[in-house]
This record gives sequence, structure tokens and C-alpha cells, in this order.
Amino acid sequence: MSKRYAFHVNMALCIGCDTCAMACKNQYHQEAGIVWRKVYPVSEAIYPHRDRAWMSLACNHCDNPPCLEGCPASAYTKRDDGVVVHHPDLCIGCQQCLHTCPFGVPQYNPHTKKAEKCSLCWERLDAGLQPACVQGCPTGALSLVDLNTFDDPSAIQFPPGFPHRPEVGPSTRFTLPEQPKIVRRES
Amino acid sequence: MHESKSSGAKNIELALGSTLSRRSFLKILMMTGAAAALPSTGLLRSFSQEGPAFGRATFAGLGAYQTFRNACPRNCYDTCGIVSYVKDGVLEFVEGEPTSTYTDGGLCVKGYAYPRTVYSPDRIKYPMRQIGRGSGNWERISWEEALDAISGKILEIKEKDGSLLGMALTKYSGNFGITHYGVEGMLSSLGYTTRFVGTPCWPAGIDAQNYDMGNMWCNDPEDMVQAKYIIVWGANPAYCSVHSLKYIYEAKKRGAKVVVIDPVLTQTAVKGDEYWQVKPGSDGALALAMSRHLIDQGLVNRDWAAANGLGYDEYEAYIKANVTVEWGAEQAGLPVDVVKRVAEEFAAADPATIWIGYGMQRHVNGGVNVRAIDALVAMTGNVGKPGGGARYGHLFTWGFNYNAMVQAAPEGSVGYTGATGPKGEFDTGQGADATASYTDRTFNINKIGQEILDAQDPPVRLLWIANKNVVSQDFDKNKIVKAFEKVEMIVAVDLFFNPTVEQADIVLPTVTPFEDWTVNVSYWHYWLHLNEQAIKPLFETKSDIEIASALSAVLNAKQPGSCTFPQNIDAKEMMIKEFNDGIYQLFGITSWEDLRKGAAKAKLPSSASWSDLKFATPSGKYEFKSEIAQTNGHTALPEYKAGREAYAPLRLLTPHAKHGLHSQFQNLDWMHDLNPEPLVYVHPQTAGAKGIVDGDTVRVFNPTGEVRLKAQLTNNVPADTLLMYEAWFSAKNTFNVNLLVDDVSSDMGAYKTGSPGVAIHDQFADIEKVAA
Repeated sequence: MSKRYAFHVNMALCIGCDTCAMACKNQYHQEAGIVWRKVYPVSEAIYPHRDRAWMSLACNHCDNPPCLEGCPASAYTKRDDGVVVHHPDLCIGCQQCLHTCPFGVPQYNPHTKKAEKCSLCWERLDAGLQPACVQGCPTGALSLVDLNTFDDPSAIQFPPGFPHRPEVGPSTRFTLPEQPKIVRRES
Repeated sequence: MHESKSSGAKNIELALGSTLSRRSFLKILMMTGAAAALPSTGLLRSFSQEGPAFGRATFAGLGAYQTFRNACPRNCYDTCGIVSYVKDGVLEFVEGEPTSTYTDGGLCVKGYAYPRTVYSPDRIKYPMRQIGRGSGNWERISWEEALDAISGKILEIKEKDGSLLGMALTKYSGNFGITHYGVEGMLSSLGYTTRFVGTPCWPAGIDAQNYDMGNMWCNDPEDMVQAKYIIVWGANPAYCSVHSLKYIYEAKKRGAKVVVIDPVLTQTAVKGDEYWQVKPGSDGALALAMSRHLIDQGLVNRDWAAANGLGYDEYEAYIKANVTVEWGAEQAGLPVDVVKRVAEEFAAADPATIWIGYGMQRHVNGGVNVRAIDALVAMTGNVGKPGGGARYGHLFTWGFNYNAMVQAAPEGSVGYTGATGPKGEFDTGQGADATASYTDRTFNINKIGQEILDAQDPPVRLLWIANKNVVSQDFDKNKIVKAFEKVEMIVAVDLFFNPTVEQADIVLPTVTPFEDWTVNVSYWHYWLHLNEQAIKPLFETKSDIEIASALSAVLNAKQPGSCTFPQNIDAKEMMIKEFNDGIYQLFGITSWEDLRKGAAKAKLPSSASWSDLKFATPSGKYEFKSEIAQTNGHTALPEYKAGREAYAPLRLLTPHAKHGLHSQFQNLDWMHDLNPEPLVYVHPQTAGAKGIVDGDTVRVFNPTGEVRLKAQLTNNVPADTLLMYEAWFSAKNTFNVNLLVDDVSSDMGAYKTGSPGVAIHDQFADIEKVAA
């Protein structure tokens, strides 16, 4: 049986250090302004301290990717291992995928006049390596898992703040952040 | 360009338009900043037309690259080993050193930005001369012209003053590669000069640990996994030592409790079990209060103190006579029961450790506060234990030859005749010539503005700046710029046109680690990393020692014998000359070339420092009572010392940032994608009282100066505190925290580093809303 690759984002371990985001730029050299992986701060409505819990997000490599389904140029394919691949040579830059992705993943590159997104480093996977972001994560917060065997009981698919879109089947799994006991100054 | 807005916040906004959860998603996931998504003005800005091709890339398969070993030399706990992947002479990407269990195959947000550092279009490519400091009116000159002007000035000074004391060097931690001490070597090779000595970073704590234990020496950070109790006291490894987090996490997994003590609810604080928000500078009082409670409860390890300590009874008597738990808790702003509980838990855990951060010693009482924390670790018997220890830093692995640094003065050189101390924490005395009748003149590195203003006979005529962004990172910027007006010529060696280069007359372009040969160790972990030249130096860049060598050639041509620095050096040979048998034995290698296969770790008898409990103090004991401290003007015991009086309504903290190492990295366009502008962090209550809302432009001001920037509201900072991170510069933004930080000294530092530290966190300011 082939694998079903997915990112596991363990927010309990994540320190929002942006290493994953830069590890991606280190590998692909995206132009300034284009970032394939973003580390979003979780709002204080969900985690009570500003900029202290984070959601590291790139492409969710969905089971039923709307980018692929809606692409008039067939510029997206999904591999057997689950990776959703964008093919720039086929892309016509119509930006349909920007509208259909519920997670805001594809970005339009005004220089190439095409869309682009996280490839899950399929070239690295095929060489037996971890994705650049996973390789770089210093705390073990970001990992690559195979959903066929992944059985972390803490992992959930739709944490608060992440769009609830079960029909598209985002592959990313999350573990929620924890809170310390806090002793604030009395004076 | 309108459509490119979709490359960021707008993109998600559009995409989420079709979902029911759009509004809540937007509300919940604050964008990292709309500015991060602003369109760039062109394709990845190329290094320049004539530069190597550096553009979009993809992973081409491991066989497509040559690999080299490098190290990040930017004054960081982690000092990571790097594997560099080079294709067709271009540094394509970097990865973390996999053979080091500390770096563990990954870098940090800064380390992964290195390819952009190398090929940034903003790099300084050629020697340049500025017509009018601060004018930006730069013209390209040749190396010959630059060195002719500089050597001419050197000879002119010698002629005029009869010595070279009018030539001064300020250099610190921009590159901690061992061959970079060749900058000091260059100055020595010219004669006796003026040196700005000391360190802005950690000197008060260095002295404290020297008084207590005879040296600064920490356990291997990898042994934190064995700790049963960890107090992270004034350190923020989530920003400043990301590779240490995994050991704290592992200790937690094995059942350890982690308490984080900090004035700010840091990213590290939320990863602990318990966070204490303390008043800045109250750390000594808090440690004394915890110690008092241990005494009251009979929880002191008296056997340890009797066997291994000197003066413990006197320390206990001092505490009983002068300290109550209630008093200390109040000083720190904490509830008494909480202080008592954690003191008890700490004493009960075995082993228990405290990570003493550098932030907490940047106070007028910082050194003595570190001593009180050291004592807490010692009186619970945790010094010398794997998994225990008062962890601050170490220089245990730094025993290189300093071949590039140790240079003789030219024959007949005239210098200073007064007494001088060490020239910084790395000065092992190897360079000192005890028989010389002259020496260098030393000035306090942390008061560069004042020292230049005060300097006479001779004044500072020529200032050489290397590995240091003085105008960004030193204290009281306005004073520094004013002092620079007195200096006849300023030469800066740098990578980028930063605020210091703006004030220079001549800038010399230097190399990144990837264009250099050197060797690196850490002051925290125990690994050794080779730094190979992975790519040819770009454009006309030269390393520090290549600059020294070139200057020596020009000087000796003009005036034979005027400079002893070797000419026509080979950078690789110079690197090899830094190794010795001691280093080989310590790291269990037979040749430096072994390091081409991977990193080496020091062969330690124990992961614990002081494991044999033979301390390097005069008594050989842990000195709760230090006569040397008393001789140097401090209390012999770590007695309470009050903090600095407030001189403005709000405390101002300017700690280290997530996206930069001091002023490095944060200027890169890649980093601006993640960290688009500097902010001041304000408690909502304080902001509310001043009519400030999130995103407002504000003026932060005090008697030293002012800055203008945007405010972000957060209760991560206390209501009486403002926080802004230490550096952020770009061509478009002149933000500089040192417009607000004065040069008042911390209590300690002069003993081991030559100058006291700076009370960087004993600063105060006010804030008001201004028109954007």
C-alpha cells in the first residue's frame, strides 16, 4: 500500500521560530514576498497570550484538492503518496486555485505570472530525505507522517482557527498547545 | 501589480470567501502582518549583473552538489555546524550538521537565510570611500587606493604622536571564527594601539562565576535531559538557543518540572510548567529569599557546603540577619507561598539546575545577582552534578593557538606605560609579553562615545571597526555619532551598509563564512566545527586576516619594518595554524582534516562542570565568600544590592530578537518577509491610558533620545514595561534602540574582561501617540 504523506504540526512543541519558513526559502529561493510556509500566530481568543502559540501551515495536500479539481489547465496532479504537485509549465496563471483553496495556500507570483505552492519537497522525498521544513525544525514540532500508520491520539484534523472543511480532506494533523501555570507580579 | 496582493493576506481572504468559517478564521489566525505580503519590485533581486547566478532553485538530487562543512560564527549559544551544498560554484542551500547531536541536522531562521546573506544585492562588493559621513555619497575605490589612504594615515599618526596610540580598534562578536582574532593581531603587528576592551554581552556574570568558582564553566547542555528540575532564569532559548529546547522538552518528558523566571512572558515561558513574572533586577533578592526559606526549612545541603564551600556559615548568617522570604518575594513582586513552594521543590529534586541567562546580568546589580543564584545552586548541592549546575557559559573549548592574534610589535614601537587588565573574555594572556615595557592603551568597549570624547594625548585619530556594528549595537547612539566627529578617519570592515558603515569614511568589503577558512567553537555546547571555504570570495571581498596581510604589504613597502603581520598569507594555512595538540586531544581527533567528515565533541570526563569539586578559586572551594570580590570593590558575600532608580515612568527592555543575531540577518529581504518592521510592545492598560491602540505610531523617549515606531498591544509585558527588540535596520528605517539606552555600567565585568558590562535592561522611557 502506498503512503499517505501529511504534516503533523505539534503546537505544544512549536516555538514559532520561523525556521521552517526560512528552511523552505533556503531550498527554493522564493522571491521576496513569496513564502510557501507561514507560521501564523494563534489569536488570543484561542490561546490567551499574543504571539505565543503558532500554527505552521503550508499546503495541506488534501484528499480532494479543490485546486486540482478547479484548475482549467490541469496544472495540478496528486501523487499516489498524497502529494499535490503544481506544474508551472502547465499553469496559465488564471488564479482559479487561489479562489478554490479554502486555506489560502496557492500564491500568485507576479513575476512568473503563475501560481505556486508548497510541493512537500517531493524531490527530496524521492531522494529519501525529509521535506526542508521538517528537516529544519529544531524542536520536533513539525514532522512528516504517513496517515496510513499515524496513530498519535493527540492529533486532530480541525483545531480551532483552522477552517472546518472535511469534504476536501486536508491531510495536516495538529496537536494543540499547552499552557503553563502563570504567576504574575502582585506589585 | 494589483493581482500580486493575492500572494499573502489577500490571498487567504479571497480563498476563505467561499467558506463559512472565513470570518472566524481571519479573526483567529492573525496574519503575520500584511506588509509581509507586499509585492516585491522584481524577480529575486540578483546579486548584480556580473554576479553569479542565484535565482529560483529546486532540489536537484544529492549527487548534483558538492558539500562543504561550515559553521555559524555569529555569537550564538548554538554556534551551529552547517553543511553547505554548492553547485556550479554557487551556494545553493545549507543544512544543519547531522553529525552534531546538538545542531542535529537543522539550523534556525537565521542560519537558513545564509544563502541570501551571501547573494544579497545589498552586500558591500568593493572598497568604497564616503564623501561626508552619513551622506551616502559613496564612491568605489580600489584596494590599492583604500590601503594607501589607511597606511598613509597610520604613518602620519606615528610621525605626529611618536606612537600609534591614536589608532583604536573596536571589535567584538560579528564573527567568532578563531582566525578573526587576526584583527587584534593586525593592530598588534602595527605597534601599541588603543583597544576598546571588554564585552557588552555577559561580563558581569563572567566575573560572578569567577568569584564563586574560579571560572565560568557550564555543564554540557545536552545533559539537561537528566535534570529533575530546571529553572530557566532570564534566558529565552526559544529565541536565542533553539537547539537547546529539545533537551528541556526531553527532561520534561522524563518528568522534570520547568520553571521560567523572566520579566516578560517569553516564548520560552509558555513552554515551561510554571512562569514567574519578576521585577527586572530583583533576581538577587528573589534568590536570597529562596535561600532563606531553605535555611528555615533545613533544606540546605550542609554537608556539601561544609565539604566544598568556603564561607557558607557567614553567608547563612548574613541571610538570617538581613533577608526574609516576605521581603525578597515583595522585591520580586511574587506571592510568598509560591516562592516557598518552588524553593522546596528545587531543593527536593536531584539533580536540579538553573540556566542563568545573560539578560538578567545586564543590570547595575547583575553580577551580584548571578552570585546569589550560583549560591542557591551550590547550597542545594547541585554544582558539579550531571543534570545540575549553575549554567551560564564556558570557554573550556577555546584553547586554540590564536596564531593570527599573537603578533609582535615592530621594533622600536612606543606605547602606553600604565597598568592594563585583560582585553576581553577571550584574552587568555597568551598574547601578552610580560617583558615589554609598553602596552596598549585600553578603553571601555561599552562607553565608546564617552571614551573617544575624553581621549587625549593622543586623541583617537583613526578608528578601525571590524566584526561590530557599533552605531547600532553600542550605547547612546547620539553620543557615539558626536564622538565620531572627533575621529580623523573611520574604517569599517563589513558585509552590509549598516548604521556603522554610514558613519565611516572608508568601508572594506568582507566575506561570509562560506568564503572563508576558520574554525568555530561555542560558549555553550562542546562541539568543534570546521569552516571550509565553500565558494570563492565574491567580488573584491577579503577576510579580516587577508585585509591585515594586504595592509602589511603596503605599509612595509612604504616604511620597511612598520608592520609585522605576515604578508601573502594563505587563509587555509592560517586556519590550520590555530590547531594544537591540546585541541586534538580534547576533541579526540588526529588532524583538523578529521573535521571534514563531521563535527567533533570534546571528550569530557563528565558532562558536569566541576565534577571533581576542585574549584579554581584561591581556596579550591566554592566561595560563598570571595576575598577577590571584596578586593575588587564588591561585597565578599553575594549580598543584596538595589537596582537602578527609575528615571522615567516605564521600564524599557531591549532583549534579543527571534529574527536576528544582534544586528545581523534582520536586514535581509527574505527576513523582512517574516519580520517586516520593528515594534514596541505595550501592555493594553498602559496603552489605554495613553490613548494608544494596536498599530498606532508612537514616540518612545527618555533623556537619552527617542525612537518612533508602531505599537503592538500585549499582556506578555507588564504594565510598567515597554519592550522593543534590540535591532532592526534597513535602508528605509532608521530605528535604533540605542537612541534610548545609555552607557551606565553594570556592577561587574572588569575583573575578567577588562571593563564592566552595561546595564542594558536598567533603562526607562515614556511613550506617547504621534501622527503616523
